[in-house]
Amino acid sequence: MSPERPRRRPTPSPALEVPAPEPVNETRPAEGQSPAASRKSIEKRPFLLDFFPLETADQTRLHRFYERLREGRVATTRCRRDGSLHWPPRTACPTCRSEELDWVDLPEHGHVYAFSAVLAGAPLGMESEVPFAVGLVDLDGVPLRLFGRIEGRPWTELRIGEPVRFETYDIGDGRMFYRFRTVEGSTSAHGPHGSGP
Amino acid sequence: MSGRTVAIVGGVTTKFGVRPATWAELVQEVGVALSRAVPSLRSEDVDSLFVGAAEPERFAFQSHVAPLAAEQLGLKPHRILQRNELACASGQSAIRSAYAAIASGLSDVAVVVGVEKMNLPSMAEANSAMGCVMDRPWDGPAGATAPPFFAMVAQRHMLEFGTTPEQLAIISEKNHRFANTNPNAQFHEKTFSRDKLLRLPLIAPPLRLGDCSSMTDGAAAVVLAAEDRVRTYSDTLAWVRGSGQYSDFHNLANAGSLTEWTGLTRAAREALGRAGIGVGDLDFAELHDCFTISEIVEYEALGLCPRGEGGRFAADGRGDLGGDIVINPRGGLLGCGHPLGATGVAQAVEVYQQFSSTVPAARQVPDPKWALVHNLSGSANVHSVMVYERGGAA
Repeated sequence: MSPERPRRRPTPSPALEVPAPEPVNETRPAEGQSPAASRKSIEKRPFLLDFFPLETADQTRLHRFYERLREGRVATTRCRRDGSLHWPPRTACPTCRSEELDWVDLPEHGHVYAFSAVLAGAPLGMESEVPFAVGLVDLDGVPLRLFGRIEGRPWTELRIGEPVRFETYDIGDGRMFYRFRTVEGSTSAHGPHGSGP
Repeated sequence: MSGRTVAIVGGVTTKFGVRPATWAELVQEVGVALSRAVPSLRSEDVDSLFVGAAEPERFAFQSHVAPLAAEQLGLKPHRILQRNELACASGQSAIRSAYAAIASGLSDVAVVVGVEKMNLPSMAEANSAMGCVMDRPWDGPAGATAPPFFAMVAQRHMLEFGTTPEQLAIISEKNHRFANTNPNAQFHEKTFSRDKLLRLPLIAPPLRLGDCSSMTDGAAAVVLAAEDRVRTYSDTLAWVRGSGQYSDFHNLANAGSLTEWTGLTRAAREALGRAGIGVGDLDFAELHDCFTISEIVEYEALGLCPRGEGGRFAADGRGDLGGDIVINPRGGLLGCGHPLGATGVAQAVEVYQQFSSTVPAARQVPDPKWALVHNLSGSANVHSVMVYERGGAA
């Protein structure tokens, strides 16, 4: 397995400078422990019918991602060796195979690259949320385009180029996740205007 | 190409649709049909079985499906028994494995069965199964399934190239018209005019119900054999001449351009190159029209028309009978339905039946010699392509 060229080279961004690096892999969760911490979440939803992940240190080495969500920060991993910025967060760099990765906070703002809405056919547990908007969002200043739910204005009022920002939220059983929200007071889209879908 | 030459010597599908039958019963049904279609095939001849099944764990709460399928079929494979999972392309994945096994000399005669049972009492549970094809812990919580992803492809294609809802409807109208010639299609004997299609409800804007393939139960099977065994079973052969696959991402964040499917271009170049032909040599193609927009992007990625002109290619009838190349004569996924594991096998069945002139005249491609099959999976992040040449007496 030879390292491939990275799909996108990171562009240095002030938004991603971290004063105190927090390594991803230097402190790993203990092996072989009972998964007690993650049991709490499956009391409400059986894991195999639930899209939300198990977020605690007994289940994932990326537990800091979810702990940062509680602090209102959406982070990802960056390779200390080749500088590549990942999405989703990783425990090993896909381009150079290094495990020396740091957590970096992502920019809060971005613009919608493409979007649609789920008007029918929602997965179990999401039927009551229909209709809901989803989209791909270009984050400001970094070469990442993330997929997520878009809250705020209804899908009929969204446009390509719509400014949005990250929002973190408690899903109701102690777990955290992220989504996008339209920016209040913004009625005109930035960037290439597209017609609604 | 090195290795032994391999051909499909027969193939069948069950009726596709909302079927009052279990996963295992669909396998039995296709086994009966196969034994009638290839009467000279004896159970003891079949040394290997490959089962294309995307999500029996989800849809049927059943794992270890390869031996289950063997038992349903009355087969006792003694060379290779395996299940292939590649989501919507599980069927072609199974054919590719059988081809590789025979070409290598490990197998002489192999059966490939593709099957999916998707219609459950709870549509939401079935939709969850479709959702876990995506990168579950990252894209899943947002509600990612195929329709909103392909809707974004359509939205970008409309923005970048001016593709219209009418052009999408033309794809659906064509494939549903072909499905009317196919009694095993889910939407056999249902008419979908362009106007009607444009009035169907939105599912994931801009995609309407008629732009989306459906949740379907069904099974399909083919028999593959080595060059020195093929004449035992059939006078008409579909020689496997080329094969290619490409995958370059999984998480939706890493999709890059939504409207340029370079993975398909690369997979097709590999498959056509191995066959030693160009796209212009093809008489027909089975393309993975999971959504109308897919077929439009596929025209472009295959080089049937320049990038951005797929909608016009459809509107000008160039992918229809009498056009440049016949696309999806069996009715495609839009007209036949899309039982995930069965689709890729059903596409190959159409190739065999076209080559043997056993399809109704209304969809028979005149004197077909070369065919390409494209089976995509997930968010168009894997493209699987095979190229077949007609051989034999027909």
